Amino acid sequence: MDAATAILDHPHDPSTATGIPNKKLLLWAFLASDCMFFGTLISTHLVYRQHPPPGNPVATQVFDIELTSFSTFILLMSSLMMALAVNAIQRGKVKSMRASLLTTAFFGLVFLGCQVWEFWHFVYEKNLTITNSIFGSTFFTLTGTHGTHVAIGVLWLLSMYAYSFKKGFSERNAVDVESMGLYWHFVDIVWIVIFTAVYLLEYVYPVASSAH
Amino acid sequence: MDLALPADAPGPAHTQSRYHIYVQIAMILAIITGVELLLIFLPFPKPLLIGSLVLLSAVKFLFVIFFFMHLRWDRVFCTILFFIGLVLAGGTMWALLNLFSVKDSIPLSFQP
Repeated sequence: MDAATAILDHPHDPSTATGIPNKKLLLWAFLASDCMFFGTLISTHLVYRQHPPPGNPVATQVFDIELTSFSTFILLMSSLMMALAVNAIQRGKVKSMRASLLTTAFFGLVFLGCQVWEFWHFVYEKNLTITNSIFGSTFFTLTGTHGTHVAIGVLWLLSMYAYSFKKGFSERNAVDVESMGLYWHFVDIVWIVIFTAVYLLEYVYPVASSAH
Repeated sequence: MDLALPADAPGPAHTQSRYHIYVQIAMILAIITGVELLLIFLPFPKPLLIGSLVLLSAVKFLFVIFFFMHLRWDRVFCTILFFIGLVLAGGTMWALLNLFSVKDSIPLSFQP
């Protein structure tokens, strides 16, 4: 395979032993480990909801499922924009990539805004905090960790946007954008699991609250 | 370096089809999310609802990892690597949920 074809063959890198670009391989290995990280947080939440202690809040009386559904939709659309950004840079369209990256970051900020509003609403209006109940502890730890991942992703997106203005930024940098895209999509799939296991499950199989 | 397209490189038609794939999948994901939101308010048996929600989430999950994350078009090793972590995470979750479901794990403060 000649040099020109190798540059354009984005999924494959003939210079590595696996044929996969090292940056991408590193991201996949990191994401595999992050799966275990979120797996433990989600299972902690599910474990503690099985036997709620006295005074544990009723989740359906706290959650605002319409807002959460909206933020889920926003995150899904941000994933689309990220995929389009990667698609654009693999075709050498830097300006199109920049627009898609900025839109992805914007959607990410909207999601974070919804999370902040939700947390504020839970703490100040529903009296659910990270310390006053087991449900609060597991919920805020899990969703807060996810929110931190999203915030890091937004910073990365904005950094990549700024970096794209560097002289010489082109289709050669597609693997950098793709690696970042892997992280962002991972954040989305974690939220897909959290939305079902934490929010929707409470409406289908509510935990019987013990006597207050 | 000359970055002109060689004769055998993927043409515009190939890249254009992925754009439409991404948009179509995004619409499917949005529709599935809407269906999940509707499902929780339907008076179906709980096992059926939970099974449906898990299945729909799994479909969304697989769509994102195979299409948005390009596993479908990348080397199999990437899929294997990611699924190693996924299987370990799933196995840990399964083990924890089963361990803490047994009678001896019920806290003394729990009053059904």
